Parts: sequence; C-alpha cells; structure tokens
Amino acid sequence: MSETDLTKIGEKVLRLKETAKDLDGLSNDFPAVRRNIQRIMASIKMIEINTLDLIADE
Amino acid sequence: MIQNQRYWNPVLETLPREDLRALQLRKFKRIFEWAYENSRFHRSLYDAAGIKPEDIRSFEDIHAVPKVEKSMMRDIQRKDPFPYGDALCVPLEEVTEFRQTSGTTGQPVYQPDTWQDWEWWAECWSFILWAQGYRSTDRVFIPFGYNVFVAFWAGHYGAEKLGCEVVPGGVLDTKARILKIQELQATAMMATPTYVLGMADTARNKMGIDPTTLSINKITCAGEPGAGIPSTKKRIEDAWGAKVFDHAGATEIGAWSFECADQPHGMHVNEGFFLVEIEDLETGKIIEEPGKRGKMIITALDRQAQPCVRFDSKDIIEWDADPCSCGRTFRLIKGGVVGRSDDITKVKGVLLAPSAIEEVVRSIDGLGDEFEVVVDKVGDVDRIALKVELMPGAENRKNDIEGRLVDQLRIKTNLRYNLSFHDYETLPRYEVKAKRFNDLRKVH
Repeated sequence: MSETDLTKIGEKVLRLKETAKDLDGLSNDFPAVRRNIQRIMASIKMIEINTLDLIADE
Repeated sequence: MIQNQRYWNPVLETLPREDLRALQLRKFKRIFEWAYENSRFHRSLYDAAGIKPEDIRSFEDIHAVPKVEKSMMRDIQRKDPFPYGDALCVPLEEVTEFRQTSGTTGQPVYQPDTWQDWEWWAECWSFILWAQGYRSTDRVFIPFGYNVFVAFWAGHYGAEKLGCEVVPGGVLDTKARILKIQELQATAMMATPTYVLGMADTARNKMGIDPTTLSINKITCAGEPGAGIPSTKKRIEDAWGAKVFDHAGATEIGAWSFECADQPHGMHVNEGFFLVEIEDLETGKIIEEPGKRGKMIITALDRQAQPCVRFDSKDIIEWDADPCSCGRTFRLIKGGVVGRSDDITKVKGVLLAPSAIEEVVRSIDGLGDEFEVVVDKVGDVDRIALKVELMPGAENRKNDIEGRLVDQLRIKTNLRYNLSFHDYETLPRYEVKAKRFNDLRKVH
C-alpha cells in the first residue's frame, strides 16, 4: 500500500469522524442514536490509529 | 483476497524501524500529555519529578519519566471516583468495562476501560490472531471462565472482529468442553498452557478420545510462559496435533505481544501500540542491545481510561538479534517472557528461574506434565526438592529417566535436587494459573 493510498483512507476517515460527531450532536434526546454513535466513534478511532496516526505530522 | 493478506495492518507491521520509532515517540508524547492533564495521580508523580509534557522530546527524556509500580495503583484505588481513585482519566459514566488483576502478588488492581479502550483491546488481539493464521473461516472455542479476569475476554472480541465464529466455553467442565469441540468441529482454541495440557490428558485418559483426531489446528496460549518453553510447546503440539502460539498480555497493560505463524521461538512486540523498554536489573539503565536480559517497562500508547505509562511489569525479557522471517519490523523478544523479576530467586547462592525446571521436566519422555518444586531452609542451608510423576508404562525406565533428569537439571539450573517420583495423577492439577514453585523460605 502506497502513502497516497494511506492518505486517501485518512481523508475519508476524517470525513467519517466529522459525520459521526455531527450525529452525536444531534442525538441529545435520542438514546438509540447516541449510544450507537458512541460505539461507531470508538471503531473510527481504531481505524484512525491504524492509518492516520501513521502519516500524522504532529 | 483479504484472507491471504499476511498482516492485519500491512503498513504498520512493515514500517521501517526509524519511522516506527518516530511514531512511538509521537504517541508517547500524546499519552503522557493525556495522563498529565487528566489523572491527578500521574500529574503529581510527574510534577514531583519536575517533568512536564513539553519536556518529552526524545527517548532519553522518556527513560527519565518515573515508572509506575503495581503497588502504587493499589494505594490509590478503592477511593473516589470509586473504586478507581485518582488515575481515572475519564468521567466515571464513560467506563463500560471492569476487570481486575488476579491478585497472585497482592491485593487485586482494578482496571476500568471505556468502550474505546475495549475496542482497542480487541484491536490488539486482532493483530495477534491474524498473525497466527486465524481467519473468518475459523470456529474458535474458548474454554475460559468469563469472569472479572480479562484473560481471553479480549481474545473473544478480537476473534469476532476478524469474523471468526466464536464459541464461548464458559461454565462447561473439561469433559463437556471436549465434547463441544468434537460436536462443533472447532478449529482453534485459546487457553493457558496448563489447561490445554490438562484437557488433552482428560480427553485421552478419561474419555478415550485422542485429541489429535479432533479438528483443532491452532491454539493460542497465554497467562503463563509455557508456550514459549520449547519442551512444553512440543508437548502441547504433539498432544493436539496443532500449532501452538505464545501470547503475553496483562490487565493493566493490554495484549502487547504475539508469536506469529512463522514460530520464531519468540514473540513480536506490537510496537505500533506499545513502547517496550528493557531495564537492567542491577544498573537500572535501558538495554538496547540484543541478548541481554532485563525487566520490561511498558507503555500502552493508546489506552485512555486508566493509562499505562512506563509500567514496571516485572517481566524478564531480552531483544532478539535477528529479524523474523515473517517480514514484520516489530522487534522480537527471544523465547518470549522468560520469567518475572519477583520469581527469580537464589537457591544455594545460584540464581534460579522456575521456567528452567519446567523446560527440563517437560523435555523428558516418561515424565508427566505436572511437577512441583519446594524450596526450604535447614539452618542456613537451602534445600530444593522436585516432585515429578512417572507416566503409566514408564516404571521400568525409572533409573534411566532419573539419570537424565539429574543431568539436565544440573546443566540447565546448576543445582542438585532432592527428587521424588510419584504415581501419575497424584500431583495437583490446575485449570488457570499453575502454582508449581513453592518457596517456603519466604513463609517463615
């Protein structure tokens, strides 16, 4: 896998994360959305650790 | 096809060493800052040492960060936020998982995890299982008590993440578990080496089932060093007709190491997720070169609820000089975890690691899997006794077996033992962590 592929994945992961955060923000009175999105965000974090962390220049 | 991909993470597991080290440094800074900002315990520890997050710029700076001992965790727990105390880095309501250590070395330590931490546990196990050849076609049987000890809980979730079909062998007894493996044609299993050997013994001698005729083709062992001890590994592989893989992890740390399918007589450290330092037992200096044993100091680079930063694991390890044929750039520790600094003891002035006795006993044909060591003192003189079992049918070879045992023990441990031979199945059997080494000098 090339660095370009990893960067592409990284970009999509960031978009996914933004979407998940948006959904989290919309779920104050909706436990079924809130608790599921929390789980999804934990999974996204794992993809982040496996991809974005490798290219991040902190 | 993804099933043929050798690595769970093909980028991380083959990252050039210098990139991997740079990643570890970046991630250490991040977790250090997290602990400093969110844990009163860690902040006071680091403030006392005069170290702030911005001071971490190199590995030398990391080596200067104070270590955390298990006893320190015991001291801060059972207080608010109850029961975890000052090391908790998240609001209590974000904790979704409770586990605790086994308490073999004192009062158990509680371990909180958030759901993200739990995903991380499963992720660590995914590296392990993928490297050992587990795939979605596997039916994995887990003969484990599913209780407050983490043991194979995360192995269960890791196997699910890979897409395996997981069979929880929870409250069944050993015979029922063997029958369930047979009934479902399970292909893989996770358990302690002691229990895996015990299962084989039960199947063969109490049920008339040859374990090699069952469908288990790989076994992941953890909880004890057995699968890293060549003679024990061979016994398990012969008994089950399966490949046996070693893994080491801990409640407070995570699943930090694994033997890959190439079986390099050692374990890879998952260096993308953990930073392992080896400390010289005498000088306290960090050992970078291979071939020199020391104590493992470990950092979990992504764990949040109760961070693990420079934790003094007391595990004895050494770096392997050679890279693994599997192509991973994650370093190998030679022979796995070879002991614990609090297990290594002096008998008659000689340093003794109990695993050396296990290696000898299990290498001799005609001896059973179980044994027991008792060390005591008469006056000022240490005595060491070894009890072993003769396998049925080996009685007429006793003199030969005894001669080999004495010779091998002298070569491998430099000690003479008071040996006693016992009938098969008369020494204690263990289901989880075995206690075969009894040092009575510490009792009196």
